[in-house]
Formats: sequence, structure tokens, C-alpha cells
Amino acid sequence: MSASPVETKKPAKITVKGLRKSFGTNEVLKGIDVEISEGEVVCVIGPSGSGKSTLLRCLNKLEEISAGHVVVDGFDVTDPKVDINEVRRHVGMVFQHFNLFPHMSVAENIMLAPVELKKATKAEAREQALTLLERVGLKEKADARPASLSGGQKQRVAIARALAMNPGIMLFDEATSALDPEMVGEVLQVIRDLAASGMTMVLVTHEMGFAKEIGDRVIFMDGGVVCESGPPAELFGNPQQERTQEFLSKVL
Amino acid sequence: MTESRKTRAPRALLRAVIAGLAGVFVLLGGAGAAMAQPSDSNVEGKNFVIGTDTTFAPFEFRANGELVGIDMDLLQAIAKDQGFSVDIKSLGFSAALAALSSNQVDGVIAGMSITDDRKAIYDFSEPYFESGVQMAIAKTDDSIKGYEDLAGKTVVAKTGSEGETYAKSIAAKYGFTVKSLDQSATMAESVKSGSAVAVFDDYPVLAYGVSQNNGLTTVTEKVPGGSYGFAVNKGQNPALLAAFNDGLAKLKANGEYDKILDKYLADPASAVPSNFWERLGNSIPALMNGLGHTILVTAISFAVAMVLGLLAGFMKLSNNIVVRGISTTFVNIFRGTPLLLWAFLFYFGVPQLTGLPMSIWVAGVLTLSLNSGAYVAEIVRGAIQSVDPGQLEASRSLGLGYGKSMQKVVVPQAFKMMTPSLINQLIIMLKDSSLLLAIGFTELLYQGQQIYAANFRITETLLIVGVIYFVAIMALTKLANYVDRRFNK
Repeated sequence: MSASPVETKKPAKITVKGLRKSFGTNEVLKGIDVEISEGEVVCVIGPSGSGKSTLLRCLNKLEEISAGHVVVDGFDVTDPKVDINEVRRHVGMVFQHFNLFPHMSVAENIMLAPVELKKATKAEAREQALTLLERVGLKEKADARPASLSGGQKQRVAIARALAMNPGIMLFDEATSALDPEMVGEVLQVIRDLAASGMTMVLVTHEMGFAKEIGDRVIFMDGGVVCESGPPAELFGNPQQERTQEFLSKVL
Repeated sequence: MTESRKTRAPRALLRAVIAGLAGVFVLLGGAGAAMAQPSDSNVEGKNFVIGTDTTFAPFEFRANGELVGIDMDLLQAIAKDQGFSVDIKSLGFSAALAALSSNQVDGVIAGMSITDDRKAIYDFSEPYFESGVQMAIAKTDDSIKGYEDLAGKTVVAKTGSEGETYAKSIAAKYGFTVKSLDQSATMAESVKSGSAVAVFDDYPVLAYGVSQNNGLTTVTEKVPGGSYGFAVNKGQNPALLAAFNDGLAKLKANGEYDKILDKYLADPASAVPSNFWERLGNSIPALMNGLGHTILVTAISFAVAMVLGLLAGFMKLSNNIVVRGISTTFVNIFRGTPLLLWAFLFYFGVPQLTGLPMSIWVAGVLTLSLNSGAYVAEIVRGAIQSVDPGQLEASRSLGLGYGKSMQKVVVPQAFKMMTPSLINQLIIMLKDSSLLLAIGFTELLYQGQQIYAANFRITETLLIVGVIYFVAIMALTKLANYVDRRFNK
């Protein structure tokens, strides 16, 4: 790293080196090297089965890492001595299927982590939950059950929940893929606002237009490797790799 | 124990288990000696625990909730004469013998015939009653006057009894078939219903049944048969045995012995009221007491089963193969073996192995809760596995640990899903608790059996017991569903 022109960039928030991940005999990540700096918004695109979701899930160790190193916010998550729960408090994650807790109200979903991890009293946590809900435009739904919300509303609550521990990094795993088309916009708007606030974000997405608009950098993955990466204008406008061209010709 | 005079409900298994246990106990005989009363020639002022049958009228049965009968009156009179006191444990015949073998009781008096097989295991008193086999037929049947009218017909006798032995010995000569049943009351029913034409049984039993309007009448003279004796464990309690013999001789000499026998045999009808409804009214307190025990043992056992089940259910989900193995073994053992077997093992086997007495409540709760715990473990495992894995991932991604995530996110959802199955399990347990009657636990069906064995109204009594179970279970179901709705919106 010493010889590279890294000095001009902000410090690395996420460093992935030689990351390999196998499920049984099936190797889905075949050596990934990625570095993401603070405040950077990186979109990961690629065909299904290319390993992009697995890469994302390795960043907060929702998947066991087979080989390589992943350093997130200064923590080496591959070090068995690292308290993974501590790391995860610095990394918010938003899932394709929201995964809201159905037995809790919207506000309780958001309050769970701060209260259980003793970061706030119930009253403080509720105050913060209302602030976060206001930020995603759902303050009036604080006491509703998740089941009564639309898909777009659910995902906005999920984003608010992921923000409850004030993470420095947000991971989005196909956050709009399960939504009806008319609800995609409201969720993208919340993500857009987050990006504007300077949050470091990694998004696995199928929304090429959105990736082009919001991403500081786009990574194209195929077959468990990073095939090509660069600023959106370059990657979408002038892809260098044949596989990238082939993929883009199909989705654009 | 080859000739068990009478046994209780789940008989075939019960007999097999008892026979097996008895064998084990004999082999382990040495261990039991530690519990025996120190032999002492003086019984005065001492208290002895005596096991007896649940109901073997007219030797022991309940009238107005109290245990009465020839055995009971004789024992009390002898105890009074000899200056010792007794605690009567109404266990059932086989259970009383198993309890004697495991030194849970000091002696057994249960209308038991003195046989060579039994003499190998127990020491018997002088005979206190000379029994004999007699034949009875339906009161309405005038076609049977003697054995020769039985040709081509079917008769019933009690499994393993002298009545059965005798009936079989003359079956070929008179050309009839012998069918074996297990209870006096059921034998009377089958003769009345016509599935058999006659019953062979001990004459005092038949005489007592006739006096209770069981619809039978005796037609032959009694064939002199076995003698009944009081038993203690082989080589133990010789003082008690001697006192029994001494007291018996005195009672015979002073005429009290004859008075007791007359009270139950000469004019049996006067011993107990014969009106069914009156007697049913009298039996309500016993039935309610039984229901109370049924509910209490179920409630305690279910609470224990929930703790065991939750523990074992979680262990089954562990990544640790040893932890998972322990849980799987537990579940497989208790799902793969009959409830009744554990009731016997806990109540009769454990005292034998440890030398410590076992409370029937502890044995009952262990039996029910371990059995049910195995099923609850599977319910818990299934419910937790049915919660979307995304729920756990979402919680873990927030930085909550595994335990916290299970507690706050997964288990509440799993619990909601498992509630109907748990209610089901609770109801099954309440019904299964009736099996504990085999070790003499005084629950509802046990009380019902006592009543019909004394009054011969099987159908009516069982219907009443059935209605009580049904009402109790319906009430329990309603309550459980209410709680479910209340807490699992």
C-alpha cells in the first residue's frame, strides 16, 4: 500500500484482502481485494450468483470467512479475538426482505439495540427512534406494527433501525429488490439523503440508474471475483472488460 | 409372581414390567437390606407401613371414602391387640408387592394366596382366610345348573387366578372354553352382556358382588382352594410376622375373627349401602380429590417439562455435537419408551438402587415431565427453526449477541408458534397422568376404579369419570386459548 497513491484519498474505512468464501465445496468468493475510504459510496453490481451479496455479508461476518482479511472501521473481523458484536454496532445493515421484528412496534424495532446494549434508557431510545423515523418520514407510524406497513415503509423503518446505533458504515443488500416499483423511489430517496450526509456505504443493487447516480465507485463482480471497478461514468460509459460489456448490454 | 391374583388397567405391560422388576429386585436383594427395619422382637409402639390392593372387595375396598374390608378390619384388630400402629398404603396388588420387594412398605395384606412361588420371595403369616373357587352365572339365566351345562360355552376367569386354574382344569372334561379377564367388575359385565355364560372366581369375591346386585348368582359349591396370608419381605420384619400370628390366634380364640368375617360374608349387603346413586354421592369427594391430584400433578409436571423442553430444545440447535447429542439422546430415550415403564422404574427401581424412599409425587412428576419434556423439546426446536433466519441475522447485525437475539427476537416469535402445540401437549399430559394409577397414585381414574370395583357399576362410573375429564379438559383448553390470545396477539 505504501507505494500506491492512497495518500491523496481519505483513510480506508473498509479493507478487504484476498477474501475467499466457500459453501462446502462451492467457492463463491475467489479472492477479493477492495478498499473503501471514509464517506465513499460504493455500488456492487453483477449477475446473480456472482458473490456480491456474500461479499457484503462477509463485511460484518454474517458469513464465516474462509480465507483472507477483512478490516472494518479498524477492526480485523477475521481475527477470532475480535468482539464481532462490537464491530457490528459500527456497521448498519439493510436486508432485501426488511427483516423487521413482527412482534414489536416500529419504535420498539428501532429501540431494541440501544436499549439492550445499554447505550440509552428507554426514554432516550424512544426519543432517538422518533428522530430517526422523522428522518425517513414515518414518525406517525412509531406505534404501528410492521405488518400494517407497505413494503416501502417497512424498508424505511429497517433503515432507521440500522441507524439506531449510529454506525459509521451502512450496508444495503438489494434493499429495493423486493419492493413494488412505485415504492422504490421513496426508499432510494432515503438512501440518497444518507449518502449526502457523508455516510460510508456499500450497496448491492440491481438499480443501474441509481448506482450511476449515487455511486462514487461501481464494482462489477462476476464468478466470485471483482471483474472491473471504477467511477460510474467510466464503468457504465466505457467498460473495459468483455464480461462487463456483456452484462451491461443485458441490463441497460 | 407367577400367580398375580389381580392387576390394574394396562395389565399386560404392567405384569411384564413388574415381573421384570421383581427379578431385578431379587438379584439386587442385598442392596435393599440397608433399608429394612432392624429386627426387634418387640413391636409395641412401633408404626408399620402396610401395602394393600386398591380394591378387592370384600377384603379391601372403599366405603364412603374409607378403606374397609376383611383385611383392613383384621389388620387393625391385630394391631390394636399387639400394640402397634399401621399406615395403610392402597397401592394395587402388583404395585404393593413391588413396593414390598423394594422395602417401600413393611408388609402386604391384600387377599393374597400363599403359593410356593411367592414363598420363595416373601415370608407369610399363618393363613388368615381359607378361600375357594366358585362359579356364578347371570341371575336371569336358568339354563345353567352345573358344570355339565357349560358344554360348548365360554366362561371367564381372572387372569392368573386360582379360578382360572380350576376352570382350565375342568374345561376339557365339560367341553367349555376359558377366557381370561382381569377385574371382577369386568367379568361380571361380560357374563351379564352374554359374551360369557359363567364366571369362576374366589367365593368371597363372588358373594360380595352378588350382594351388591351385580346381576350374578352362584350356582355351585365352593371348591376348597388357597389360603390367604400376610406377607413380609423374606427374612425381614420377623417380629411383625410373629405379632400378626399371635394377634390372629387371639382374635380366633375370642370370636372377633368370626365377627369380622360375618360382617362382610354372612350378610354382605349390610356392609355397604347398595343404592348406586347414594353411593355415587358418597364417592364424589373421592372423585374430586382424584381430580385435584390429577390437576396438581399435571400442573407441576408441565412446568418442569417446559423447563426441560426449552433446555433440550435449545441444546438440539447447538453447534456443539456433544451438547446436541445429549439432547437428542434425552429426547430419543423418553420418546422411545413407554411412560408406564418410567413410572415403575422411578417408583420401585430408584429406591432399590439408591436405598432411599421415593415419594409417589416425585415419581409421578419425574415420569410425566421427562416424557413430556422430550416432546416439548421437539416442539421448541421445530418452532425456533421455523422462525425466519433473517430475524436472527437482523438482530445479530445490530450487534446483539446470540443469547440476547434468541431471547428478544427469536423465542418470542417461536413461542407464539408453539403455543397451540404446547396446549395440546398439556392436554395429553393431563390424560396420561391417569397411567400413574398403576403405581397407586390416587388420581381421578384411580378413584373411579375404586368405586366401580366396589359397586360393579363400571359403565356408569366410567361415564362419570369421563365427563369429569372432559369438563376439566374443556375448561383447560378454553383457559389456555384465552391466555394464548391475550399474550400472543
